[in-house]
Amino acid sequence: MRIQEAMTMYEKLNILTDAAKYDVACTSSGTERKSDGTGIGSCELSGICHSFSADGRCISLLKILFTNECIYDCKYCVNRRSNDVARASFTPEEVCTLTMEFYRRNYIEGLFLSSGVLNSPDYTMELLYATLYRLRHEHHFQGYIHVKAIPGASQELIQRTGFLADRMSVNLELPTAESLKALAPHKTRRNILTPMRLVQNRMTENRYELKLYRNAPRFVPAGQSTQMIIGATPETDYQIMQVAEALYQKFELKRVFYSAFVHVNEDAALPARTGEGPPLLREHRLYQADWLLRYYHFQADELLSKENPNFNVVFDPKCNWALKHLEEFPVEVNRADYKMLLRVPGIGYKSAVRIVKARRLGLLDFADLKKIGVVLKRALYFITCNGRMMYPTKMDEDYITRNLLSAGEKLPKEVADMGYRQLSLFDDVRFGNGYEDSLCM
Amino acid sequence: MDMKTVYVCNDNITGIFSGIYDAWRAGKTEADCEIAIRGMLDFQLFCDYVEVEESERKAMAVSALIRKHLGERAYGEIYHAVMSEDKGKGDAVLGTMLAARELADSTKIMDHLGHPKVEKVFELARNVFGEAHSYKGFLRFRELKNHVLYAEIAPKNQILTCLAPHFADRLPVENWMIHDRTHKMFAVHEAGKKWVIVWGDKFDDEKLKEVSEREEEYARLWAGFCQTIAIESRINPKCQRNNLPYRFRGDMVEFTMKADRMN
Repeated sequence: MRIQEAMTMYEKLNILTDAAKYDVACTSSGTERKSDGTGIGSCELSGICHSFSADGRCISLLKILFTNECIYDCKYCVNRRSNDVARASFTPEEVCTLTMEFYRRNYIEGLFLSSGVLNSPDYTMELLYATLYRLRHEHHFQGYIHVKAIPGASQELIQRTGFLADRMSVNLELPTAESLKALAPHKTRRNILTPMRLVQNRMTENRYELKLYRNAPRFVPAGQSTQMIIGATPETDYQIMQVAEALYQKFELKRVFYSAFVHVNEDAALPARTGEGPPLLREHRLYQADWLLRYYHFQADELLSKENPNFNVVFDPKCNWALKHLEEFPVEVNRADYKMLLRVPGIGYKSAVRIVKARRLGLLDFADLKKIGVVLKRALYFITCNGRMMYPTKMDEDYITRNLLSAGEKLPKEVADMGYRQLSLFDDVRFGNGYEDSLCM
Repeated sequence: MDMKTVYVCNDNITGIFSGIYDAWRAGKTEADCEIAIRGMLDFQLFCDYVEVEESERKAMAVSALIRKHLGERAYGEIYHAVMSEDKGKGDAVLGTMLAARELADSTKIMDHLGHPKVEKVFELARNVFGEAHSYKGFLRFRELKNHVLYAEIAPKNQILTCLAPHFADRLPVENWMIHDRTHKMFAVHEAGKKWVIVWGDKFDDEKLKEVSEREEEYARLWAGFCQTIAIESRINPKCQRNNLPYRFRGDMVEFTMKADRMN
């Protein structure tokens, strides 16, 4: 029996923030809402970052757990019941006050409410619902709310909560059912996918309702997302990408987030501590590939295969794909179709749109491409303008690879000084810190 | 050879549009005129310097001309470009308008990125829009004793007219005020009313220092939150700096409070 002293708000917030920080998503995008003039809050489609923490991640939402008490004992989780950590719980009113006062001062874009499982999934979900209800109907908050659906909670509760939130997510936790069994013995794949399917079906129905009645209440308008931990279990990148692709196609998820495994517990079932820190480069490559699935019309099978199941450490997945498919290049910028332009390294989806529009008004040259935002030092090996390449180039994998590398291709610190051939031998190497790139999603 | 005419105008939308109006009326081409901003002049030889007489009427005429022939989307980009800190902005806008005349469908002008002036307007607008978007997140209000929310910013471009509608929509029931120190401007919003822009150096300075009773407490909770949310094994100041450059941090309470914060 533990004796709990009265906690200050500062201590409570500290505990419940610390417990929530491993959750990846902090996005506030995907929904647009004007204020109705009576309460406070609005939403921007693009989302807004309000600050950045020392790890370089964006702070957009007040990301907290409602409680870090938990009946489960997941081996990777800092809040598992067998851990001896300080425990705390908010009351719905406390969460509301914090959200409103932070929001007024423009600290945040909204609330991200997750929770450990207190007593039972239903009991916890009920608390989350009560909090959101108060926030929406008593405090008239119209900003962004992202809430977790607790696996195992009743359908009715999850549905009612979904009408108050902008985004809902259920954590997939780990990529495969076997891993889940090994590390999260109290959770099952089925239990996790059931609420995911429920939210998906309810969103489909809601789209129909909104067609009939424009003012029908909106169910999870910013869509649902999920996240999984990378590097705690032996899945390959190929397996992970296949899972992600299935989630996008079969569950119509808006986003899948990948979270590099961080050692917080000592447990025999977890990988040994390496002193190298979380596998950030791997996480980064997965996000890049994820973008290729969502915005660049790529399929997981094109990027990886059973024989070649992990991403290249030196080049991003798109560049790597291009190097392996040189027979498709060079493409003529003034004629190639949009989808092919998307596959050219150095051309992003925004510059591809701009190219398609600008070339209607005249032939484009390399100088024009530069203005449009194409990264020429990468693209030049893969494109022609009016039938000519920028420099004479051999369409040869080794030649282009060498040139890309000598042109200062951004490399992780650990591999910067090594030769390229040597590198492809250890594709599954786990890199430590020092790889920097925006983690703002 | 005719001398080049330089139209010198004030750095605001009325001034610049008035300059464009005069150049347009005089039937100038890109080669024989320039729109310059007072205070950002580079004097050149063989030029005629003309002081533009600015008027609301001229500005309205130009904005109507742009809207009608170039369309609302192009007008939006041009408007943002005029808010830029760049001294060539007036020239870029005039050049874009002249270039649009050459197109069969002048509403497509902003797609014509191969044209240097169009590209410049696009670039300036993107820059202004980007800074405004950053401030939508990075701006911090503090609650004064009289419950007015007050924020200070030091933007490079004039972005108050981008920020004010955003916060008016978001905080319609609050009294708030945003002070742009760079351009000595204020956006002022009274609960339930429309926002206004006020030019001036400062308001009653003493009143701005007195914050409400619980202000300190919420600022402290927020600063603590920002510190706790970072994952130790992923600390990456370079990435943090790329996303949130130092120039914003001076007005953000989670950074200014750190030195003497906690305990």
